[in-house]
Amino acid sequence: MIQEKNFFQHLISNIDWWLIFATALLMIISFGAIYSAGVNYGTSIRYLSVQCLASGIGLVGLLLLTSINYQYYKYLSKFVYILSLALLISVLIFGSVKRGTKGWFDFGFISFQPVEIAKIMFILTLSAVLDLKTNEVKKWYFLLSAFTILTGHLILIMMQPDFSSTLSYFPVTLVLLFIIGVNPFYLGCIVILGGFAVGIPLAKTFLNIQMKFLESEIVPINILNFLQTGSGEFYIIVAILTLIIGIWWFFWKLRIKIPIVYTVVLCVAIIIGCLASISVEKSLKDYQRKRFVAFLNPNVDPRGSGYNIIQSQIAIGSGKFTGKGFKKGTQTQLGFLPEQHTDFIFSVIGEEGGWILSQLTLLLYFMFIWRALVIAKESRDRYGSLVATGLATMFTFYVVINVGMAMGMMPVTGMPLLILSYGGSSIFSSLCAIGILCSIRMRRHTHVK
Amino acid sequence: MVWQREDKSAYENFLKKHKTILVFFMFLFVCLSIRLFYLQIIKGNKYRDISEQQRIHNTHERAPRGIIYSADNLPFAENKFTYVALYHPYERHLKPSEQVIQELNKILGREIKPTIDKNWRFGRVIKLADNLSMEEMFKLQEKKLSLKGVAVAKESSRVYCSPEVISHIIGYTGEVRSDEIEDLAEHGYKMGDYIGRGGIEQTYDQYLQGKDGGWQIEVNARGYQVKAFKYIAPEIGASVYSTVDLKLQQVAYDALNNSDTGIGAAVVLDAKTGAVKALASCPGFDINVAGNREFGKYLKDKRLPLFNRALQALYPPGSIFKIITFAAAVDLLNIDPSEIVECTGNFELGDRHYVCWNKLGHGKMNIISATAQSCNIYFYQLGLKLGVRNLERYAKKFCLGQRTKIDLPNEKKGFVPNPEWKKTKVKMPWLQGDTVIFSIGQGALWSTPLQMAHMMSVVANKGIHHKPYIVDRVIDLSGNKVYEHELELGDELKLSDNTWTLLHKALLETVENGTGRRCNLPGIKVAGKTGTAQNPQGKDHAWFVSYAPADNPELVIAIIVEHGGGGGINAVPIGRKIYEAYFNLEVLQEENREAKK
Repeated sequence: MIQEKNFFQHLISNIDWWLIFATALLMIISFGAIYSAGVNYGTSIRYLSVQCLASGIGLVGLLLLTSINYQYYKYLSKFVYILSLALLISVLIFGSVKRGTKGWFDFGFISFQPVEIAKIMFILTLSAVLDLKTNEVKKWYFLLSAFTILTGHLILIMMQPDFSSTLSYFPVTLVLLFIIGVNPFYLGCIVILGGFAVGIPLAKTFLNIQMKFLESEIVPINILNFLQTGSGEFYIIVAILTLIIGIWWFFWKLRIKIPIVYTVVLCVAIIIGCLASISVEKSLKDYQRKRFVAFLNPNVDPRGSGYNIIQSQIAIGSGKFTGKGFKKGTQTQLGFLPEQHTDFIFSVIGEEGGWILSQLTLLLYFMFIWRALVIAKESRDRYGSLVATGLATMFTFYVVINVGMAMGMMPVTGMPLLILSYGGSSIFSSLCAIGILCSIRMRRHTHVK
Repeated sequence: MVWQREDKSAYENFLKKHKTILVFFMFLFVCLSIRLFYLQIIKGNKYRDISEQQRIHNTHERAPRGIIYSADNLPFAENKFTYVALYHPYERHLKPSEQVIQELNKILGREIKPTIDKNWRFGRVIKLADNLSMEEMFKLQEKKLSLKGVAVAKESSRVYCSPEVISHIIGYTGEVRSDEIEDLAEHGYKMGDYIGRGGIEQTYDQYLQGKDGGWQIEVNARGYQVKAFKYIAPEIGASVYSTVDLKLQQVAYDALNNSDTGIGAAVVLDAKTGAVKALASCPGFDINVAGNREFGKYLKDKRLPLFNRALQALYPPGSIFKIITFAAAVDLLNIDPSEIVECTGNFELGDRHYVCWNKLGHGKMNIISATAQSCNIYFYQLGLKLGVRNLERYAKKFCLGQRTKIDLPNEKKGFVPNPEWKKTKVKMPWLQGDTVIFSIGQGALWSTPLQMAHMMSVVANKGIHHKPYIVDRVIDLSGNKVYEHELELGDELKLSDNTWTLLHKALLETVENGTGRRCNLPGIKVAGKTGTAQNPQGKDHAWFVSYAPADNPELVIAIIVEHGGGGGINAVPIGRKIYEAYFNLEVLQEENREAKK
């Protein structure tokens, strides 16, 4: 154990300055964008002060987590998991409702969303479990134990209900399983399962909207009608299954032997996916589904579900190379942009800062994630690598979904842009995650405990 | 304890997967960057335009059209300004709310029910109330805050003085029709614009159109005005000064209207310049109601009031054509007043039989008396002597069969027949009989009253003539002359002096002692010729063409009364009234009468 006075020296010499640099710059951009987004509503100062306060608390958390050895979490993984569940349960009991979601602890002047911190706890827990059971990777119950941990969180979050937060769990889980050495085929099957479960209701919604839009056009309406009925769906699935078995049989005849297990697992995954789609369909509200598919063709409903995407694209595009200038974005200042300080903060940056600033933002994010992955690579143990990879995946996923949504490539899910978006809990948990990364980085050499 | 060393194979396995993930994340970021580049750099201009469009709204204020003046600076066409209450639709509020309507009804004391007609397009305002008084306008301005989306604007509409008298020369205005918009768009017209139709309003539309103005305002996402950028005041169009003398126009129109049939046309030209002093077509129509439902009655009227007879109607010139036959005969054949032909009232050509209008015959006629009495027999034999070729040539020399190119729309060309035409169109050879009736202006000869007036100006000026015109100058808002008519000399018609002298003598004789004696004015020598054009559809048309004073012509007149019968009885008095008005003779007469008393 090193001396107390040496600790800060060690911190300064071993902390990942690139990571801190990227974070600091992103936070500066964030403050500017949040300020500008609030000018029109007269909320600039309020938002900015809340964000600064949360950042301050987050920085304390960052330093605290940096100084704590991350390896403790591995040994305390059960405790961490129980704590995360306790947080999620207590928010269901004591939490207050905002925008239809019971996910906030309200402390009067500031409110806290436990799901943000629960995500990080989940990564810590899952990494610990995977690290412990590395040798059982090929066993069937390995996946099961991983998904049990996942399900505990998902059920509690869906009870809030907070659909968009649950989405971020899947990529993290899948990437961690991939890293630990689970056969990618099974992971692929899980993706297919999820794809069918969510895809079928969304595809139906999309066809439904599209049909209203096309109306008298020559597009064979009969086919669309057929697709919408239950039997049509059934026939298509049967056709897909037959095709898979047919291909397998064809390869078999060519003497390319693919184990039948794969085929069976794939078919089972599809069938389960289809069955799951029924419950997903019921749990998603109509407007959610519409909003979800609007990005495919926002012009179908330009004043309704497509409005956000259209306006956001206009905002980003109209920024051109140099942008319209701080507080001068017409889309932002005249209220054309929805949710501009939270979900669509990237549009504000794109409009007022132009291509230069928005591309810089993306580069900073990439730098951040690259550093996180480097930390994963250099970690002294597998647990550290898994945690760092998990956190990197979480950040990547948030950025891709949020920025993709702002540019009309991704569905509107209501996911914030970590570090940039206004939101106390999200900036706090982001800074905590960075603290954990720093902790892993600092202890890459054996002598630090 | 470091796993890199502890479990080498596991670490290498991890590194491989780690690399895959790094590449995958990099790929995602590259995708985002490409999309960003596409949106901001490639499509940047398009999105910038869209963002400007949805933030800037232009309110449109139509500019008043220019004023049209008569020769004595009396306004023919002016603008009337009224205040109207408009509703600017904003996002999702196509109609004003119930509250706003109630408030508005309370202030104005009217029952307003805003309706959106089927022609309504987004971005256009809805008219809630028109003809607001000043008081009401101020009241609305005061309550502006509670009347969301309601604005008061000044609107101009066209008013014409003596609308029926000047209907054909001024024309009217109407909204651009959807079937015209394609052609007009090139000239900068857009839907909802007003365009002149018929008359000066049409030919000088480009000058009369003002520059539209309006507010350029910034609106927020809800469509409310955030700030106004600039106001461009609409600019009135240029003033058009016509050559028409309202007094003469009025007299001509009234005289035509009071004639037997009330249908006809009168053209009064300035003999020296070709300026139109009056151009009346009867019946006229009320141009103030153009575009209203009332206007439909004119479309149904069998007397065709919308038809400008002065330059769109084709009539056989009849006996007026004898002027041309006369000129050709004297010029080519050197006919002398000493040559006498006996008129018995009958004329035989082969087996055909032609008569003079005076069935008893005029007796011994020379060229002067034959013109004065309008003896057909005399001109039949002149025509035969000249032949169809010469008649055609001289008719064209006197500008028949071609447009006068007056600056009014839809002028007709008229027609001068010839043997080739008859052969190809009628499939019959030209006969001597055709030449005979050609010489007295019948047959397939067609001309407009304007052409006849123009022909008379050629005669009055002994061959020198100008293109007729109706607009003298156009002066824009800042007082610059943007258009000025330049006298356009037609090809001079060169005939022998003897021809002109004899012709003038004959025309003078016509008015003094002949068929035109009803136009014999005290103190002013009038030269003229009457005509009674035979018309297969009904009663003859009455013609009178003349100029005065004979020795120094100032005025040229052509008058036709459709189905009016004899020219000498029906058309000549109209000419007399015009001359009286021009030379102020009625004032003199009254003075004389008062002096006698």
